[in-house]
Amino acid sequence: MRVTDRMMFENAAANAAKSRDRAQTAMEQLSTGMRVVHPGDDPTVAASMVRGQQTIDRMAAITQNAARAGDEVDASDSALQSLTDVLARARELTVQMGNDSYSAADRQGAATEVDGLMQQAVTLMNTNVDGRYIFGGNKDQTAPFDTSGNYSGDTAVRQVEVAPGVLENSSVRADVAVKGVGGGVDLFATLQSLSTALKTNNGNAIRGSLTGLETATTQVTTTLSQIGAMGDAFATAQTLAKSTSDATTKSVSEQSEADVIQSSSQLALANSALNATLTAAAQSFSLSLVNKLGG
Amino acid sequence: MADLLTILSQASTSLAAHREAAAVAGQNIANVNTPGYSRQTVNLEALTPDQLVPNGFIGRGVDVQSITQSRDAFLERQIPNAIASQSASSTESDALGAVSALDPDAAGGLSSTLSAFYSSLRAVAQNPADPASRTAAVSSAQALAQSFNRTSQAVEDARSGLDDKISGIVNEVNTDAANMASLNAQIRSGRASGAEPNDLLDARRQLQDKLTELTGATPVMDSQGDVSMALPGGTALVSQDRAAQLSTLPDSSNRGHLSLRITRADGSGPVSLPTSAAGGAIGGAISARDGTLGATSASLDSLAFDFANAINSVSSAGFAQDGTTGHNMFTVGATSAGAAGQIAVDPTLIANPALLAASSSAAGLPGDNTNMNALIATEQTALASGSDPETAFSNIVASFGGASQRAQAMSDQDGALLDNLTNLRESTSGVSLDEEMVNLTSAQRAFEAVGKVITTTDSMLDTLMSLM
Repeated sequence: MRVTDRMMFENAAANAAKSRDRAQTAMEQLSTGMRVVHPGDDPTVAASMVRGQQTIDRMAAITQNAARAGDEVDASDSALQSLTDVLARARELTVQMGNDSYSAADRQGAATEVDGLMQQAVTLMNTNVDGRYIFGGNKDQTAPFDTSGNYSGDTAVRQVEVAPGVLENSSVRADVAVKGVGGGVDLFATLQSLSTALKTNNGNAIRGSLTGLETATTQVTTTLSQIGAMGDAFATAQTLAKSTSDATTKSVSEQSEADVIQSSSQLALANSALNATLTAAAQSFSLSLVNKLGG
Repeated sequence: MADLLTILSQASTSLAAHREAAAVAGQNIANVNTPGYSRQTVNLEALTPDQLVPNGFIGRGVDVQSITQSRDAFLERQIPNAIASQSASSTESDALGAVSALDPDAAGGLSSTLSAFYSSLRAVAQNPADPASRTAAVSSAQALAQSFNRTSQAVEDARSGLDDKISGIVNEVNTDAANMASLNAQIRSGRASGAEPNDLLDARRQLQDKLTELTGATPVMDSQGDVSMALPGGTALVSQDRAAQLSTLPDSSNRGHLSLRITRADGSGPVSLPTSAAGGAIGGAISARDGTLGATSASLDSLAFDFANAINSVSSAGFAQDGTTGHNMFTVGATSAGAAGQIAVDPTLIANPALLAASSSAAGLPGDNTNMNALIATEQTALASGSDPETAFSNIVASFGGASQRAQAMSDQDGALLDNLTNLRESTSGVSLDEEMVNLTSAQRAFEAVGKVITTTDSMLDTLMSLM
């Protein structure tokens, strides 16, 4: 092939430009750590980066929500645990005061304590987490129980997402747990009638409230086991969301991030190619008959 | 017989011929870097004898028979197509490579604002009565709407940038086409004088390459030696010594982007030029503008439109904190055209985040989150276009990326082919300084030798004179 001077210069320029382009790409990959920046770098990976990012964000939101719901469930759990303590004390007093050897004055004193227990129970059932009453169903902005234990909440059970499209209960029905809706006993009414029986010094009525208190305790412990299951569900949801998010992060990184070792060796390769191109060009430029012919 | 004066006159003709050879070598050397220059070769010819001496003929020296260009018609025929496709694909590839709005990792891009929107809805679903979560949800809806606006704007900006490029190219084409038409006329009159106007031919070839690069027009040579240029599809851009004029007109059916028109070489028109009749850089720009970018813009519009309607239909069925119903979350036009640019959060919702319809019934207020969960479910529900919002967006990214990658690959491939062809053309037509130095030196030596002939003849004349 006939090689002209212009060809030599243009080839040298084109080859140097190619090497510089390769070096630049490797340099960019090294400094950003990303292999895919523009969708055109790798369309499939770009699309899966978009989907991966969505999954990671979604899992983060689910983790956060499950953690908040978990907090509420924990608060419900500890409120109802305390409620069982209240009921245990009420049962103890009932058994003790059921013995007719106690005087009316003793029973009067016990009645005062039962009234206190009643108020304690109301307070427990009005537990407020971060501004919301957790036992009020959807009526979560006002206290669901008044001092005499009347319920103003509704029958709704809130649900929170634990996995994309999967909902899990995050509250219990207080009307079922303590008001006896659906065939149980009304805990507050039982305490009130115990108090009345004590005040009126009615031994039979006092002994009679024991059954009601035991049923109420069973109701509360049943609800507690539901709450335990919910707590587990939210804990599992957080673990699952975390592991899904980790797996997605890993797969997105694997696809989209630059391999540092590969990019480094590409950079070294491109630089030495550039060096060789420049050296060869400089040598071939100096070789010309023009320099050899004496004027 | 050969008298001495004849030798002198023969020598002077030969001197002139070698001087011309040196001059052509000089011209070649001077143009070693001139783009489009084809090296010229002096064809020397021995002058036929007109004198009969007793034993034979004696020639009359040497003369320049012609000066020709070294060109390879086979290569030159392939080059226009290579130029046109390289120019089209690199224009398209550059245009697509410059759009960064769809980068998958872009901060504040559609991908991240879309997921942030759903995350904020999830926070509301967890505690619907919490005003802070509601305010955050409304802001993230605004961020999403703005991200749609910005992404769509970035794509439209890229399209408008291509319009600017197209009108720039149109001006260049008009100038070059007019120049080429007048070169056709000059070359015709140059040839009428009998010699090849080599440098005009080079100039015309350069314009021809440039017009091919800009418009994809191919050269058509006729028997008179004129080179006309025909646009893809056959419309003449240059017809012998007359040139057509391109012009542009905003096309209202294409968001006001420019359409091409042509005033034909015979002066008729202007008529609109179909996009299929434009190749080269103009064709590449139009294909990037109306092809990939146009499709991306339309997909963004239909995503924004379908998404806003899907959200609105769930949102309007729910109940706000004040017990009212029928609240839309987004405002968007009546059709998908331009939807991504127009989508915005309903102003009443911005003013009052309590209007976010979280509850599915008035009775469930304030704690019911059923409707909010239904809104979250739209994340995984197919839109009217057939896929969920996230998949729809990742499809837009994938198809844009695919087009960009294809254009890049085409551009690389076309570039390599063109480099190869121009290298081959340069190999035939380019100037080699070594060769020209040899030519120059050989002309110089011949010139010196002929000079020697003159001094020798002169001393022979002296000898004769001294005899008298």
